[in-house]
Amino acid sequence: MAVVSCPECGADVEVGDDAIVGEIIVCPECGAELEVTGLDPVAVVLAAEVEEDWGE
Amino acid sequence: MIVIKVGGSEGVNLDAVCADVAELVGRGERLVLVHGGSYLTNEVATALGHPPQFITSPSGYTSRLTDRRTLEIFEMVYCGQVNKGIVERLQARGINAIGLAGIDGKLWQGPRKEAIRAVENGKTLVIRDNLTGKVEEVNVDLLNSLLDAGYVPVLTPPALSYKGEAMNVDGDRAAAMTANALQAATLLILSNVPGVLRDFPDEASLIRRIDVSEIEMVAQEYAQGRMRIKLLGAQEALAGGVEQVVIGDARGDNPILRALAGEGTIVSGQQVPELA
Repeated sequence: MAVVSCPECGADVEVGDDAIVGEIIVCPECGAELEVTGLDPVAVVLAAEVEEDWGE
Repeated sequence: MIVIKVGGSEGVNLDAVCADVAELVGRGERLVLVHGGSYLTNEVATALGHPPQFITSPSGYTSRLTDRRTLEIFEMVYCGQVNKGIVERLQARGINAIGLAGIDGKLWQGPRKEAIRAVENGKTLVIRDNLTGKVEEVNVDLLNSLLDAGYVPVLTPPALSYKGEAMNVDGDRAAAMTANALQAATLLILSNVPGVLRDFPDEASLIRRIDVSEIEMVAQEYAQGRMRIKLLGAQEALAGGVEQVVIGDARGDNPILRALAGEGTIVSGQQVPELA
């Protein structure tokens, strides 16, 4: 289990050992959605608001 | 002006579709045909060792994951076998059809979704290598010049992103945008079910009419899977000025003539008490 700092509020955010790159996690303090961008070391960024995909 | 979308699901009768197109064009009707090819694409992709992968959006819509290799296979099938197969069928019936993909002549352009969200094994993920987007602009001048010259356009995804990339788009919504752009009176969305079913897959539970104000309710309560997207396409078409959308059945004989006669689910702005 890694702990990173929320880029929005600075709170500690736990990233599980089963996390994968691209996964969205939610900061327990401020509710910001964070995208896991790396695992070694664990890194997160604020997740972009993206649309749903309706491609065929 | 009629825009007809024919899905690429198993069971769709392209011979019957093309016979009806020939009949209508013979009567002097202006029309554009838009087609899919999902079933055959899945088969070919599997045969080529790159089976289809589907992703589910956070609110439950399923769509194809289109990486570069998938897009190439998609083009082989949609722009190749299916598109040219339809053109050949129409030419054999004396119709001067011309097959074009949305990337040709910037027929269909729009934004590519640089990143999308999907749910996989309970995790929400951001996916960035997905080559999908939506159609925002239709090259009406090109379509009208073809129609004016007597050609019947047969259109297929992929569309073109604003950055010049080929991208997969939803064919039903592309057809809706095309109908809007051409100010078509009628849009037909035909696939391998009789229309919108109240109790899928019970074909006897066909909903015969949906008022535009009921689309969202029906999409939430009754529509399954891609039928929701067809309803979304119908909603967009009606909002853009199309008078009537019929979601009908492309199996069996005379699928277009039957849909034009009202067989299927008629989606329009008229108030209908049945579901109100």
